Amino acid sequence: MAKRKAAFYWMTVPALLLFFVFHTFPALQGVFYSFTNWNGFAKTYDFVGFKNYYYLFQDDNVGNAYWFTFRFAVVVTLIINVLSLLIAMGLNASIKARNFFRGIYFLPNILSVLIVGYIFNYLFSNVFTVWGENLGLGWLSTNLLGSQALAWTGVVFVAVWQGIALNTILYLSGLQTIPTQLYEASGLDGANKWQEFWKITFPLIAPFFTINMVLAMKNALMVFDLIVALTNGGPGRATQSISHLIYTGGFEGGEFAYQSANSVIYFIVIAVISIVQIRYLQRRETDM
Amino acid sequence: MAKWSRWLGVICLVSILLTLTACASGKSADGKVHIEFFQNKPEAKGSFDELIAKFNAQHPDIVVTQTNPPDAETVLMTRVVKEDVPDVIGMGATDTYSVLGQSGIFADLTGEAVLEGINPRYTQMLTDLTGEQAINGIPYAANADGIMYNRTIFKEQNLEIPKTWDELMDTAQKLQDAGITPFYLTYKDDWTTNLLFNALAPNIAGIDFFLERRDNTVTFEDPVMQEIAEKALAVLPYGTNDNFGRTYADGNRAFANGEAAMYIQGTWAIPEIRKANADIDLGFFATPTGDDAAANNLVSGVDTLLAVSESTEHRAESLQFIDFLLENENISQYIEQQTAFSAVEGVDQEDPALTELQPYFESGRLVDFADHYIPAAVQLNSLVQEFLQRGDVDAFLKRLDSEWTKVANRRS
Repeated sequence: MAKRKAAFYWMTVPALLLFFVFHTFPALQGVFYSFTNWNGFAKTYDFVGFKNYYYLFQDDNVGNAYWFTFRFAVVVTLIINVLSLLIAMGLNASIKARNFFRGIYFLPNILSVLIVGYIFNYLFSNVFTVWGENLGLGWLSTNLLGSQALAWTGVVFVAVWQGIALNTILYLSGLQTIPTQLYEASGLDGANKWQEFWKITFPLIAPFFTINMVLAMKNALMVFDLIVALTNGGPGRATQSISHLIYTGGFEGGEFAYQSANSVIYFIVIAVISIVQIRYLQRRETDM
Repeated sequence: MAKWSRWLGVICLVSILLTLTACASGKSADGKVHIEFFQNKPEAKGSFDELIAKFNAQHPDIVVTQTNPPDAETVLMTRVVKEDVPDVIGMGATDTYSVLGQSGIFADLTGEAVLEGINPRYTQMLTDLTGEQAINGIPYAANADGIMYNRTIFKEQNLEIPKTWDELMDTAQKLQDAGITPFYLTYKDDWTTNLLFNALAPNIAGIDFFLERRDNTVTFEDPVMQEIAEKALAVLPYGTNDNFGRTYADGNRAFANGEAAMYIQGTWAIPEIRKANADIDLGFFATPTGDDAAANNLVSGVDTLLAVSESTEHRAESLQFIDFLLENENISQYIEQQTAFSAVEGVDQEDPALTELQPYFESGRLVDFADHYIPAAVQLNSLVQEFLQRGDVDAFLKRLDSEWTKVANRRS
C-alpha cells in the first residue's frame, strides 16, 4: 500500500515543484513588487504600501483597458460559440468531403497568432480597402484598424476567425457522443429540427458548451499578441487590452511595480470570473 | 517513507541547480571572448553586420554578434529586468536611455580614450538628458527630423523650399490644386504622429518649456502649446484619403514611388526609401515652424549612442569594439549608408539629399527632440495619435497635463 502511495507522489511532486518554481513563485514575487516603487532594474527600491493600488483606481487608462477587454471578450465569446456550434453541426452531418472540410476549419488553430495578425494587418490596409471602394462601402474603403471608433471590430473579426477552429473541434467531439437512436426516437415522435436541437442536441453537449465558453472567454480576456500585431493598442488607446497595458506600461514606461499592482488586480478579476462562470454553467448542465 | 523523502530532496536540488547553471555561463567553449551587440535600428542591421564582419576578421580572439529585435527598447527593458544586459548597446538618446542611465545599468566611460574626437555638443546632449555627471554613452550618429520632398515634383510644379509655416501651407495647397498628394501621412504607426510635434515643439515652445513643466512652473494649457497642436492638425487635410490607415512601411514605399510630394520623416528613413526606388531625387528641409526663417532650428538628436553594460565581464573588449566603430573609415561608411550625421568631428555627411541641412550643422542651429524630455510612461505617441483623430486641442492639452501629473505622482 505504502509503495502504491509513493508512486502517486512520484507522479505529482515533480510537476508540482516545477509549477511552484516557474509559476507560483514568480507570481508571488509580482505581488511583493506591487507594494514597492521598483522600476524593474534599479538597484534599490522602497516600500510604498498601497500607493500603487491607490493610483491604479484613479487611472482612466486602466479603466479604458478594462472596458475594451470586457467588451471584446463578451462579443468574441458569443460570436465564436454561435458560429463554431453551427460549423460543427455542419461538419457532423453526412456531407461530401467531410474530412477535408474538418481539416480546413481546423487550420487557423495551428497558425501562430502573430503570423495571422500580421497577414490580416496587411489585408486590412491593402486588400479590404480595395474591396470597400469597389463595393462602395465607405467604412471599409479606409483601413478599419486606423479608425478610433471601428478598430475594435477589426480585432474582433480576426480573433473570431482564429478562435473558431478550436471550439469547432470541441463541439464536434461533443456532437459525436450523442447516440443516433435518440434522433430516430424523436423523429418517430414527430419532433421538428428546432425541437430536436433544443431538446436533444444542446442539453447533451452542455458540458462542451461550458468548457467552450470558459476557454473562449479566458483566451479573449488575455488577448495580447493579436493586439500587438494588428494595432499595437491604437489608434490612441482605442484597442488597448489589459495585458497590453501591463506590458507597455511596465516595460516601455518603466513602471514595473505599478503595473505589477495592475496585474495582481487583474489576476483576482479573472479568477473570480472563471469560478463564477464554471459554477453557473455546471449547475445549468445538471438542470437540463 | 524516509527513502522517498530523501529522493525528493535530491529532485529539489537538481531542479534548482538546473535553473541556476543556465544563467552562469562564463567563457565559451571555443576560448574566444563573445560580445553581444544589441542595437535598436532595423534600418541599420545590414550596415552593422558589415562592420562586425570586418571587426571579427581583424580580431580572431573576439566574436561580436548583433541582436536587433523588433520593438528593441521594450525588449532591452525586459533583458535588464532579467539581469541579462547585453555587453554593448546601441540605442537612441531617449527617455528609456535616461532612465537606464540613472539606474546605473551603463558603465561610466568618463576619461576613456574612445571619447577623444567626439563632438562635445552631442556628449553634452546626453548628460543633459540623464541629468548626471557620468558619461554613460558615446554619441555615434545623429539624425534630423524634418520634411523630405521629391525634387522632381517640386521642379515640375515650379515650387521653392518653404521657409515659413505659411509658405509650407501655401506649397501644400498648390500641390493639392495640381492633383498631387502634398503629404503622405502614416499615422497608423503612432510614433510617426509624433514627428511633426517633435519638430514644432522645440522651435515654438522651446526645450526649456518641458524642463519647466518638470518643475511644475508651467502647464500645457498654454498659448504656445495651443499653436503647436493647431499646426499639427493643419496638415491633415493635405494628406491621403486614409491618413490613419497607412504605416511607416507603406509610406516609405509610396513616397519612393512618387505618390506624394512631401513626407514628414527623419533622415533615418532615407535608406529604406532608396531601397524601394534607388533613382528617387529627394531632398530634406527643416520644418519651417514660424514666420521667421532665421530663427528656425533643425531638430536633431543622437540617433545612435554606444553604451557598455556595467555588469559586462568584457569591458576592455567592448571598448575595443566601440573604438573600432568610431574609426574614421568605419563611421564614414556607416553614416553614408544610413544617411546619418557623424558624432566624430571632421567626418562629414556628403549625401546630395542632405545639402539643405548642412548650414544648420555648420552654424550649430540645432535643437533636440521634445519627446526626449517627456517621461516615456506618459505615452506621448498614443496621446498625439488620439488627438489628431479626435481633433480636440483643449482636450489633448488637458490630457497631456493629467497624464504627466499622474506619472510624476507615481514616480515620486
